[in-house]
Amino acid sequence: MHAPGSQPKKRLLRLRLNGRWREDAVAERELLVDYLREVAHLTGVKSGCDGGECGACTVLIDGEAVPSCITLAVRCEGRHIETIESLATQGRLSRLQRAFHEKLGTQCGFCTPGMIMAAAALLRHNATPTESEIRVALSGNLCRCTGYVKIIESVQAAVEKPHDC
Amino acid sequence: MSTSLGELRLVQPSTVKEAVAARFEHPGSRFIAGGTDLIVNMRRGIIRSDLLVDLSGIDELTEITTDGLDVTIGAGVTLAALAHNSEIAGRYRALAQAAEAIAAPGHRVIGTVGGNLCLDTRCIYYNQSEWWRSAHAYCLKNRGDVCHVAPQGKRCHAAFAGDLAPALLVLGAEIDIASAQGVRRIPLSELYVEDGKAHLALADGELLVALHLPLNPPPSGYAKVRLRGAIDFPLAGVAVALAASGPNVNSLRIALTGTNSRPFLVAGTEPFAGRPIDEKLLHELDRLVQKQVQPMRTTIASANYRRIAAAALTRRLVKKLFAEGAA
Amino acid sequence: MIADPMIDSRISRPGVPLIDGVEKVTGRARYTVDLDHADALVGRILRSPVGHGEIIRLDVSKARALDGVVAVATGDDCPFTYGVLPVAMNEYPMARERVRYCGEPIAAVAAIDAETADRAISLIELELRRLPAYYTSQEARAPGATLLHDNKLGNLEREVHHEFGNWQDGFATADLVREEKFSCAEVNHAQIEPHACLADYDPITARLTVQSVSQVGYYLHLMLARCLEMDSSRIRVVKPFVGGGFGARVEVLNFEIITALLARAAAGKVLMQLSREETFLTHRARPQSDMTLRIGMRRDGKITACSCEVVQRGGAYAGYGIVTILYAGALLQGLYDIPAIKYDGYRVYTNLPPCGAMRGHGSVDTRHAFECLLDRMARDLGLDPFAVRRANLLHAPTRTLNDLMVNSYGLAECLDRVERASGWRDRIGKLPAGKGLGMACSHYVSGAAKPIHWTGEPHAIVNVRLDFDGGITALTGAADIGQGSSTMVAISVAETLGVALDRIRVIAADSAVTPKDNGAYSSRITFMVGNAAIDAARKLKAILVDAAARKLEARPDDIEVVGEVFRIDSGQQASLPFAEVVKAALVDRGAITVSGTFTCPPESQGGRHKGGAVGSTMGFSYAAQVVEVSIDDATGVVSVDKVWAALDCGHAINPLAVEGQIQGSVWMGMGQAMCEETRYLDGLPGHASFLEYRMPTAAESPPIEVQIVESHDPFGPFGAKEASEGALAGFPPALVNAIANAIDIDIDELPVTPDRIMDALIQRRRQARLTSTLKVAS
Repeated sequence: MHAPGSQPKKRLLRLRLNGRWREDAVAERELLVDYLREVAHLTGVKSGCDGGECGACTVLIDGEAVPSCITLAVRCEGRHIETIESLATQGRLSRLQRAFHEKLGTQCGFCTPGMIMAAAALLRHNATPTESEIRVALSGNLCRCTGYVKIIESVQAAVEKPHDC
Repeated sequence: MSTSLGELRLVQPSTVKEAVAARFEHPGSRFIAGGTDLIVNMRRGIIRSDLLVDLSGIDELTEITTDGLDVTIGAGVTLAALAHNSEIAGRYRALAQAAEAIAAPGHRVIGTVGGNLCLDTRCIYYNQSEWWRSAHAYCLKNRGDVCHVAPQGKRCHAAFAGDLAPALLVLGAEIDIASAQGVRRIPLSELYVEDGKAHLALADGELLVALHLPLNPPPSGYAKVRLRGAIDFPLAGVAVALAASGPNVNSLRIALTGTNSRPFLVAGTEPFAGRPIDEKLLHELDRLVQKQVQPMRTTIASANYRRIAAAALTRRLVKKLFAEGAA
Repeated sequence: MIADPMIDSRISRPGVPLIDGVEKVTGRARYTVDLDHADALVGRILRSPVGHGEIIRLDVSKARALDGVVAVATGDDCPFTYGVLPVAMNEYPMARERVRYCGEPIAAVAAIDAETADRAISLIELELRRLPAYYTSQEARAPGATLLHDNKLGNLEREVHHEFGNWQDGFATADLVREEKFSCAEVNHAQIEPHACLADYDPITARLTVQSVSQVGYYLHLMLARCLEMDSSRIRVVKPFVGGGFGARVEVLNFEIITALLARAAAGKVLMQLSREETFLTHRARPQSDMTLRIGMRRDGKITACSCEVVQRGGAYAGYGIVTILYAGALLQGLYDIPAIKYDGYRVYTNLPPCGAMRGHGSVDTRHAFECLLDRMARDLGLDPFAVRRANLLHAPTRTLNDLMVNSYGLAECLDRVERASGWRDRIGKLPAGKGLGMACSHYVSGAAKPIHWTGEPHAIVNVRLDFDGGITALTGAADIGQGSSTMVAISVAETLGVALDRIRVIAADSAVTPKDNGAYSSRITFMVGNAAIDAARKLKAILVDAAARKLEARPDDIEVVGEVFRIDSGQQASLPFAEVVKAALVDRGAITVSGTFTCPPESQGGRHKGGAVGSTMGFSYAAQVVEVSIDDATGVVSVDKVWAALDCGHAINPLAVEGQIQGSVWMGMGQAMCEETRYLDGLPGHASFLEYRMPTAAESPPIEVQIVESHDPFGPFGAKEASEGALAGFPPALVNAIANAIDIDIDELPVTPDRIMDALIQRRRQARLTSTLKVAS
């Protein structure tokens, strides 16, 4: 909703979101995180800070893990955005999701979507990361519950099951 | 308290020429590359602009090329691409190490070389919300007329905290700056001014488009101190390039970041040439660095600590590079 | 009391994933800001720009007149204080007449969008007359200081003076008496989910529904009724998924009441999303504390007496402050056998955001001081740090000097386990330069035995429902905030009934459906709600056994329940599957709801002395940990290489979750010890972002190896006690002790940042130079 006379200028944004092309009228100032949450209703994308500090909003843009809270939505024209909602397919959790669930890589769950997306980007580039590579890849994603111990273990468990989706 | 952006338009040129023209036509517009610094600052309300000129669609900015004389790195090359480039890692280790140590992986994927070199300066009185700054009284860098770090002084002491600049300074980088008038080339050191409020010697509308590195620099390295293993800006960052001949220094260059309003080459390292690298030399280096850095209370860590840490990192890097060279 | 020391452990001992884990890993979990708010107004708060001031003029007329603004609220709209402790409610949701800290809410608006709401806030005209503001305990306590609250002389919220045993004699008979001062910085919970609240008021039915990030829906419910002058039956409080608490949400918070006030004024729905900065300003976390600690010790390490003075910089309002300052003294006890104790506590009002409860509430900073001093005295006496702890163990069952019950005590085993796991005996003193090992112990309550509000009700109630579908639904008011309490309830019910875990569904924290629960604080849920869940499940089981007996024409005593099969004579004669038993049980009576309860008996509720209820609990968890560090003496950077932690949780109902809780609490202790600190610049937060409030990242966080110790508490559910707080307080002293072991430097202040290490190293070098100069001179 907007006050009369304050309609922000919008432009048509066309992008691939979780595998499907879509078009939306989007204000040029709109952040990707707000577009994903408020326009596309993908509320798995979380916002935990006032900009670029916690990684909770991490999504994949063309396969790279990026904080969506410091990315303008209109700069994603033509690109492929993947969020946590895309990972479970045909009623099956992805191997990372399953590992985070089974190994308690999630406690309160608020950092979890961003954490899993950052881990997903890592595993696409590097199928067998070392512990220190996992730590570096997740170092922009803050978690307050786990001390990261079971998060690291979850990623390692997922690595051990490479063929399980 | 709002952290969303104000009214904004985005233009997306595909050439440097168009970008510079767009910027020139709209006073008050800003270039945006990765946006990891700019968007955060705009959300805080410390930078205001109603038009952004997006550089991400300009292909010519994203190339790394070698022409036999030097290596040219486009300003739009991302920090991740820089860190993962094997030629850079082999030849310019300080640069690769600096790139890899910036912020967190997500920032490095979108952050660029040009953006890191043109990073805004930082201060605890500046990098705050609009509510905070208005409650405290605005500072010299933003809408106010007093620097809260040094109220008696005349200038802003916000500190430069980019990691790449010191590495590039010791490697002898030059930069290309484009404007409506064409492209000019200057040593990187001339880009920076010791003034937190106006630390870049860029005229309105000028754009840093590329940097050039000599092909055969001496061995180099970069190190920084910060509280955490990621995310944090450097409290102090040091780059060293050291050529040795036998047990002696042949050439030595040291540059610092995080301590002053600009990254800078430590002056007075020439006399070390021809001297052996021993405790005496390291001690003199320590003194030299401590004398030239000017950390102020712009971060939560004490200024004195940043001074000491800068010197300690320098000593260690010099020793390490020498040992590696000798090995 | 019900107690069953033995558990028939059907659930595999590694433990089970969270029952709501799938929602979390798929992004389907709905947190407050994820709830449907398509038609909600946007709420915004105007906050005080000064640390202390009188409100001379507050004019909201321009804001109210702005197109798109639907409601405006100020302190005038709520003349009622709110809070948790009935004796200490001195705070209004929005300031009235006076503001006492930068960031205190003054007014609020609800508008059709964020931009309009922001604009409306900027149109509010505010005139303040500044009053002297105090940002340290010392300034606030200085003679002649302006009082923050007129009835609180010396700006003291509470003074505590407790003496137990003959401490004068204790010190007199000691071989070594040592006194040290310690200071711990203020820290914050920094849960990743920012604060938020969604309130919906329907003017036609005059009903209010509030969904919020609360850990204490019941208290929120009470305060909404009080502040909005509503009949509590017209209010519904629902807790959606909550992204962490750690104590941040164990008080009713100003923005929750403000959102409800706005919703009623707007006759609609209002979503209030606080920024990270505002979330930090809301605060209610661990106060900056100064401790002066003195311990008397015999040559063999036995403690003879202890005296401790604690000054807490509490912030502008009472909150839980009285409890915090009492805990700081009370929990000097319960860990070791100390024959005499003197405690003096001072809780100070300052012009900073109010402090409150944070994980390890009240115990952490005093424990830090105690464990550091214990180590230093062990060193003075040439004793091993483990030996000095072992010389002071309690022997359960016992009662402490301040009348706290200790019925189970696994500290000795915790010590053995971490000593062995860390290779302490082989490695201590033999590590390379710059490396060190340190250890410390800690403990925490499993719920406060005396409830804050004395109602005469049980301390916990769980309802269990069974209907035709054979699904068992546990209804609990307990707030799952990520700690896994709903999973604990499910396991407790399933274990007791002997049914499959996935037959259980848990519905939690919705006042329209679930029985009242006091909330997720002081680690009360496992002990109290767990016991209530077992009680309910037992009642249901009795009904099912009776039904099976009727159906099988046997006596209930002859019914054997194996898994989901009810049988007689080992199934030789007859057996009934669960579905048949349910059918039989529903005959005549229909759907079944049973209620299980738990109440802490009077003997558990602490001593008769003033404040004696604080610290009282049904059972303490016990922890020991060893920390290994490496120190870079050129930059002062400390790295933690590894942590070994053992915790006695009585019995691990869900070992996986227990491990996770121990790791999380140890790591949170690490943050406080190494890098976290709230700092104020002229009363404004210098830390109100995740860039400046430096909680550790995955890059530098260490492996944390956990040992679970099970002492089988006689009264705990299956023998269980708490597991999520007890280990936190051990980390900071273990770190400081490890640093002393590595570089022979004793650090007295937290956090141990690189600049503090460097300062200490430089000072030592200076002293060494001075000493050598003196030697030369003489």
